Amino acid sequence: MESGDKVWEVFIQKKPGLAFKHVGNCHAYDKKMAIQNARELYTRRSEGRAIWVVPSDQIVSVPLDDADAFFDPADDKVYRHSTFYKIPSGVKHL
Amino acid sequence: MNFTFESNESKFLLRIADTSLILAQRLAEMCSKGPFLEEDIALSNTSLDLFGRAEELYKIICRIENDKFEPDELVYKRNERQFYNLKLVEQPNEDFAWVIVRQFLHDVYAKEVFTELLKSENSEVVGLSQKVLKEIKYSHLHAKDWIERLGLGTEESNSRTQSAVNHILKYIEEIFNFDDIDKTYLSNTAEIESKWNAEINAVFAAYNITRIEVPPLSMRDYRDGFHSEYMGPLLSVMQYLPRAYPDAKW
Repeated sequence: MESGDKVWEVFIQKKPGLAFKHVGNCHAYDKKMAIQNARELYTRRSEGRAIWVVPSDQIVSVPLDDADAFFDPADDKVYRHSTFYKIPSGVKHL
Repeated sequence: MNFTFESNESKFLLRIADTSLILAQRLAEMCSKGPFLEEDIALSNTSLDLFGRAEELYKIICRIENDKFEPDELVYKRNERQFYNLKLVEQPNEDFAWVIVRQFLHDVYAKEVFTELLKSENSEVVGLSQKVLKEIKYSHLHAKDWIERLGLGTEESNSRTQSAVNHILKYIEEIFNFDDIDKTYLSNTAEIESKWNAEINAVFAAYNITRIEVPPLSMRDYRDGFHSEYMGPLLSVMQYLPRAYPDAKW
């Protein structure tokens, strides 16, 4: 077993077919312990039937400092929303 | 109160119920004292499973005995010599290795017993066994993984595990001195013992733990209500409140 205290991100699937949802994280020293600790912390009230755990350091995220460059340019581009189309009168469920 | 049991079946089930209860109490003592948050919750979850298992068994026992007492009375009003749990489970939480070794040795035994009870003639016992075998399977897996980590971990984790094993092994022999009552309700007691030995030996060997030879001990049997020195203090904590305040309600 590999070792060392690590933080793991925990994802729970409520029912087969549904998307896994991020529910929080847990500490563990290895994969087996991570999945068992996730079970103890996040499924003790029947929250799901399947668990994923991923080492937090394996998740790639946008650096906080770069958030402006990554996301602000989208703010003034309303044309990217499909709100400029006329909806045909016959369509009810859009 | 008079705690005499008329039926052999309730005497038999009481041994399993008391074993579950006392182990539950020991694990409950670990609440807020686990080595880290996640493990703390894991031990508390296992404790609650065991309390639930004990409660269901006490309910069955009370029905067999025509409701002449209630589960709460069995838990809070019996004295030490009226409990029939394995001495194994009353051993203290000396350190985390003791908690894990005690749990592992118990879970392997409990798994075999409840597997036998799937063949019981009492449908309530069969139903309960089906349910608790899932709990035991998980707890057993959890304890076994820890034996692996502790046994193959550091020099200190190995030596602490070994000293826990050396102490706790003294309380194993009585488990397999099955009497006629056990043999009435467990169809294959020899197999319980051989499977237990096979698994314990294999796991210890794989994870660098030695199963020491225990010299013959003159220890009186748990089936007659005998205990080790650790039982009294456990009961005094567990029973304090209802004994000090007999009218207290949940």
